[in-house]
Amino acid sequence: MKMLTKRNSYIFLALAATAFFYSRDGDITTSVYATGLAFALPLALAAMVGIMCERTGIVNIGIEGTMLISAFVAFFVAYLTQNIIIGLVASLLVGALMGFILALMAVSWRMDQIIAGTIINILATGLTSFLYVQGKTIPSVFQSFEIPLLSKIPFLGPVLFIHGALTFVGLAVILILYVGIYHTPWGLRSRAVGEHPSSADTAGVSVARLRYINVTIAGAIGALAGAYLALELVGSFERGFIAGKGFTALALMIFGRWNPLGALAAALFFGLTQAYASQLMIDQVVNIPSQFTAALPYILTIVILTISAGKVRPPAAEGQPYEKGQ
Amino acid sequence: MIKRISAITAALALATVGFIVPANAATTEADCGKAGAFCVGLVTDLGQIDDKSFNQSAWEGAQAGAKKAGGFAKYIETKDSKDYAKNIKLFADAGYNVIVTVGFLMGDASAAAAKLYPKVKFVGVDQFNATTEPNYTGLIFDEDKAGFLAGYLAGYLTKTNKVGAVFGMKEVLPVRKFGEGYENGIQYAAKQRSKKIRSSVVYHPAGDNAFSNPAWGATTANQLLTQGFDVIFGAGGSTGNGAIGKVAQKAGAFCIGVDIDQYYTVPEAKPCLVTSAEKKLVLGVSTLVGQAKAGTIKGGNFVGQVGLAPFHDLESKVPAAVKVRLKKTTTGVLAGSISTGFKG
Repeated sequence: MKMLTKRNSYIFLALAATAFFYSRDGDITTSVYATGLAFALPLALAAMVGIMCERTGIVNIGIEGTMLISAFVAFFVAYLTQNIIIGLVASLLVGALMGFILALMAVSWRMDQIIAGTIINILATGLTSFLYVQGKTIPSVFQSFEIPLLSKIPFLGPVLFIHGALTFVGLAVILILYVGIYHTPWGLRSRAVGEHPSSADTAGVSVARLRYINVTIAGAIGALAGAYLALELVGSFERGFIAGKGFTALALMIFGRWNPLGALAAALFFGLTQAYASQLMIDQVVNIPSQFTAALPYILTIVILTISAGKVRPPAAEGQPYEKGQ
Repeated sequence: MIKRISAITAALALATVGFIVPANAATTEADCGKAGAFCVGLVTDLGQIDDKSFNQSAWEGAQAGAKKAGGFAKYIETKDSKDYAKNIKLFADAGYNVIVTVGFLMGDASAAAAKLYPKVKFVGVDQFNATTEPNYTGLIFDEDKAGFLAGYLAGYLTKTNKVGAVFGMKEVLPVRKFGEGYENGIQYAAKQRSKKIRSSVVYHPAGDNAFSNPAWGATTANQLLTQGFDVIFGAGGSTGNGAIGKVAQKAGAFCIGVDIDQYYTVPEAKPCLVTSAEKKLVLGVSTLVGQAKAGTIKGGNFVGQVGLAPFHDLESKVPAAVKVRLKKTTTGVLAGSISTGFKG
């Protein structure tokens, strides 16, 4: 294996930059990286929804709506029952239901998948705006806690190991998905269904069944992202709560080349630039116009995309309904 | 037949426009348009009448003003921003004397309607009036004064000598006025205390979601908290609400709300909410409605009052000496003898 692959050189650059910033000011760098992770996690999880669906050949642009309605359910069930665990469970069920509805439209009814996703977005926006009631509170949020020993590691400890429960669950889901897609029979079958469904069918894989299962589970992952926002990061719900994260996630999925770790890295990069944009305003080190600092995450993203651009290739059977015998 | 169709059309039109609910007062709805009757109509911005924010406060003011004048008040909830003009027209056609329109976004519709219905008095809440229409009055506020007072209090409450703010986008004038006033208020307090206090205002990147991104607000507030900032002012729709909600999760930190007394609108912020930089909407609207009845209302802009909301649960956390100083500074700022330093 070559040592100086493109990917390795990126990892090296990222580590070098981190070490440089940390040597300049350890506390601020730690705070910025922890903030970057908080920004990145919901985006990364939302990207996982896209990866899981598209890997099996279903385009899901209803991620925003799935997150919105599940954040809504998470918050209001937690309010009604005064229990955030019940809120979380209800949210995951509703997210799975959203996934199931998408699968129903895309697989069984063979609807245009862009329209199917749009239906979910419109449904979620309409329902949550209509049913929203202001002025409700939940008893608590998923509080940050320290993982013993690990949280004492300099820099990495406070960045990675002092968070609420849903952050840890979310990171675990991403790792599991990575292993699942590349190193299990389920992953192999899913990818086969996304690339060449008729071959997979011939080999005895039920295309429809696998698509149903994956899109439904993906819905639950989207719900985890929504619940993380409502029950851990913010602790409330407002109309339009997701603010476009479900769409940003689709770009991160492509940036990460449909690979869970790639999408996570893309989300972390985007989150970190946002945190640094805020940090420039907090520090007021130099008097940069705020318009520039605000545009920084986007400028950097374009620069990185331009440099790293290669050929990206989506799963071949993406967006096409599968009919036996075609 | 035609009559029936038009009745159905009218009913459908009403249904699409929104709900119409009357309030009790001496005059009844049937009197509107007749000589001697005084009717006040209020058109909300998007959102419900009981939003515990601009719509609700303006409606309370309109009701109070109408009641005092022995008149009648009624509101229409706007469901779609395309309906602003349509909703105003409903009141104008029914012969209402005063039409109150709520929110910055309805400014253009109000100015156009004022030209169209010269006999009706228009009150535009939070609308800077750049027209010369004699029957259109913008109700505006000195946000820099409210921000200055919030900053002054923050400057006295901080123990770490780091005071922050999480705002909507800088390109919106009232937000910038809050921000600059706030920073100058902090430095005014720092000078009195002979302390060096760091103030940092973080604005949301410009964009569609600048005022509706609670996750960004919460994350940025947390970034400030982890760096030792212990008083945080959140201003900018649900972005600001997300910020103060996050501060409430940290013991010992203070947060400051905006526009109205957010003790009632953002209950999750109660543990940290020491005050809100308030625009006195109820008072402003009822005053203008009263002036319209008396015939003394003028076109142009009317500057409403601003101030700080009560301390509520954190009454005991504000030292008595600070309260005395705050009172003195408030008088000075509102009278204009203490400059907020806002340059525009």
